[in-house]
Amino acid sequence: METANRVKRVVAETLRIDPERVTDESRFVEDLGAESVQSIELVAAFEEEFDIDMDEEAALQVKSVSDAVKFIEKYL
Amino acid sequence: MTNDSEQNYRQLRAEEIRQLTDRGCTALDWSAVRVADPLVPERFADVEFVGQVRLGALLGDVQVEGGRAKPAGIYRARIEDCTVGNGVRIANVGSHLSGYQIGNHALIENVGVMETRKGARFGNGVEAEVLNEAGGREVPLFNALSSQYAYLVCLHRYREGLVDRLLEIGRRAANEAARDFGQVGEGAYVVGVPKIQDVNIGPAARIDSAQSLVNGTVLSHPLAVTTVGDGVMAKDFIVAEGTQVTGGAMLSKTFVGQGCRVGKQFSAENSLFFANGEGFHGEACSVFAGPYTVTHHKSTLLIGGLFSFYNAGSGTNQSNHRYKLGPTHEGKLERGCKTGSFSYVMWPARVGPFSVVLGKHTRSFNTEALPFSHLEADEAGRCELIPGHYIATVGTLRDGLKWPQRDRRTGPALRDILCFDVFSPLTVGRMVRGAAWLDELHKGVDRTVATVNAGGATIKRVLLRTGVKRYTAAVERYLLEQIFLRLERRLAGVGGSLRHLFSADAAAVDSTDWIDLGGQLMPRERWENLSNAVVAGSIETIDQLQRALLQIREFYEEDTWLWVRRQSQESLGFDLDCLTIEQVQGFVARYCEQQQKFLRLVLLDAEHEYDEGSRIGFGVDGAANDRDRDFVAVRGAFQKNSFVRQVTAELESLPARCDAVREQLAAIA
Repeated sequence: METANRVKRVVAETLRIDPERVTDESRFVEDLGAESVQSIELVAAFEEEFDIDMDEEAALQVKSVSDAVKFIEKYL
Repeated sequence: MTNDSEQNYRQLRAEEIRQLTDRGCTALDWSAVRVADPLVPERFADVEFVGQVRLGALLGDVQVEGGRAKPAGIYRARIEDCTVGNGVRIANVGSHLSGYQIGNHALIENVGVMETRKGARFGNGVEAEVLNEAGGREVPLFNALSSQYAYLVCLHRYREGLVDRLLEIGRRAANEAARDFGQVGEGAYVVGVPKIQDVNIGPAARIDSAQSLVNGTVLSHPLAVTTVGDGVMAKDFIVAEGTQVTGGAMLSKTFVGQGCRVGKQFSAENSLFFANGEGFHGEACSVFAGPYTVTHHKSTLLIGGLFSFYNAGSGTNQSNHRYKLGPTHEGKLERGCKTGSFSYVMWPARVGPFSVVLGKHTRSFNTEALPFSHLEADEAGRCELIPGHYIATVGTLRDGLKWPQRDRRTGPALRDILCFDVFSPLTVGRMVRGAAWLDELHKGVDRTVATVNAGGATIKRVLLRTGVKRYTAAVERYLLEQIFLRLERRLAGVGGSLRHLFSADAAAVDSTDWIDLGGQLMPRERWENLSNAVVAGSIETIDQLQRALLQIREFYEEDTWLWVRRQSQESLGFDLDCLTIEQVQGFVARYCEQQQKFLRLVLLDAEHEYDEGSRIGFGVDGAANDRDRDFVAVRGAFQKNSFVRQVTAELESLPARCDAVREQLAAIA
């Protein structure tokens, strides 16, 4: 639960959107309007928030908030 | 070209003069008209001969458009002081044809005035004010102008001795072009041009319906035919072999190099275009358009900038509003850059190689140390940079593949010397330094800080670490790739011990820094040596300079290898001379893994062009599922895309190639 909340906060800050718009089901591109260059910003922001080093290829294939939570938890 | 040494001319006989007169021909002095045998009076009608005229044997036909043939001869023309080759057709010259040596089988028809004045230089010696409209970086035009020469003269003004000598060399080459007679080369075709003055026209050139050509040269070769077409207005120009200037293009004090395409009302002034450049619709002003500079759209202005391997989006524009004492532009987009639609950059600015510029940048910046970056302007016009964003993208990989395939240059002498590699000691060296710089910035900044300034560009703090990772991985992949490719090539061909396989040519040169000399990559030391040779006077002609540059090009691969050897030690921590077979096999496996990862990232990027966002607008008026059907009908399936197939094939074949190298290594153990 804590990871999910942190992920949502990072997403809202990085994409500069209202935190309430970010739900577990939100897809980064289709629902939150993330552009391709913002994907890399999200990856970087997650790395810093959780102090992890993610595999970029795998990270860029994550499409939604819930997938991001699962993906990050593997590193924790 | 026909001349006295090739042709026996004689004076006209009285009977021939009578026959010619009967056919409406006149001469101020018939004794000044000399002819070659056989003279066929029927091949002349209504011709006015003035001054010294030499006529070849005007027999047979001249081939014109559409496979039609017209009889050789001279019809309805005033010919002044000309030498006319064999099998030439000249017809319908409105005013006069004066001061030309016309090669065999040339066609000149429906021209207004075509003349050469004494001492004409045919565009040679004109100085284009490149990079700064107010001058200071002038480049003299001459027939053998190359991208490399122009780059040195234009950009290296800080080496006074060098530039003085080079200008001397260039001006001498330009002076050698001065003649009292213009040339129309063998088989050239000049039709429908109201005005041609002091213009040399090369063999097999096609000048068709141009409007006005003054003080210029159209270089051409039967294997690299040059076309100057409809409505072109050109003054003080040189157009090189295999190039097409058509569609109402306007050139003024401009050089257009080999294999270029200029048309659709493009205008260029004080500009240089080199190999395979393309300019349509827009405008170039004081531009150094290095090889493969491409601008296709209206409202696109390239001004006061250096470009190469560049693609301009529609509405691209630059300027410098700061100057009050005369224009100073000094824009530099290094090789491989792109500018997005309606992007604007305030000069002076310098953009590192293979970067993409979007938005309106109203603050100057210098990102030379951060190649492959995404540069997007924020609302205040500041540059926001994402370092290394384009290392593993479709665009970057495709560019590297397409440029060599799209080299249109043909003919015996390709003047611009090109190195096409996207990843090279130039770009990889920049990444080495870029990674170190970003790392330093990252370590020196507090986590509470949102952004940092790097060369006038803003980078989000969290992206500093990303940049370091991307550059470091790209450097490692490149070095391992070079090692792998060397093994793959040499294990099959050269053989021998590891040390022997990894040894560099004794004449190879190593410099940490590499430079991009107008499209040719070389170690700094090579350039220093070349520069010193010019200053010392051991290179004193344009041919000698070209030979020296070609010699440097011959060492490109070995110079690269020497750089790789040293950089491997610095970046990867191993000395190639001290490795065991097992260690090298380990590197091959590591390369395989990294290259596959790189290619998968490229494919991931390619997938974006097939995702939901890319399907917006498809399936108009259809049902919900018609959108995807429409998309596939138009774009095809992802897996069937030719680029995707090419990358996939490389991805799939890589393990076998790596296995083969490992087995060959085991055999020499």
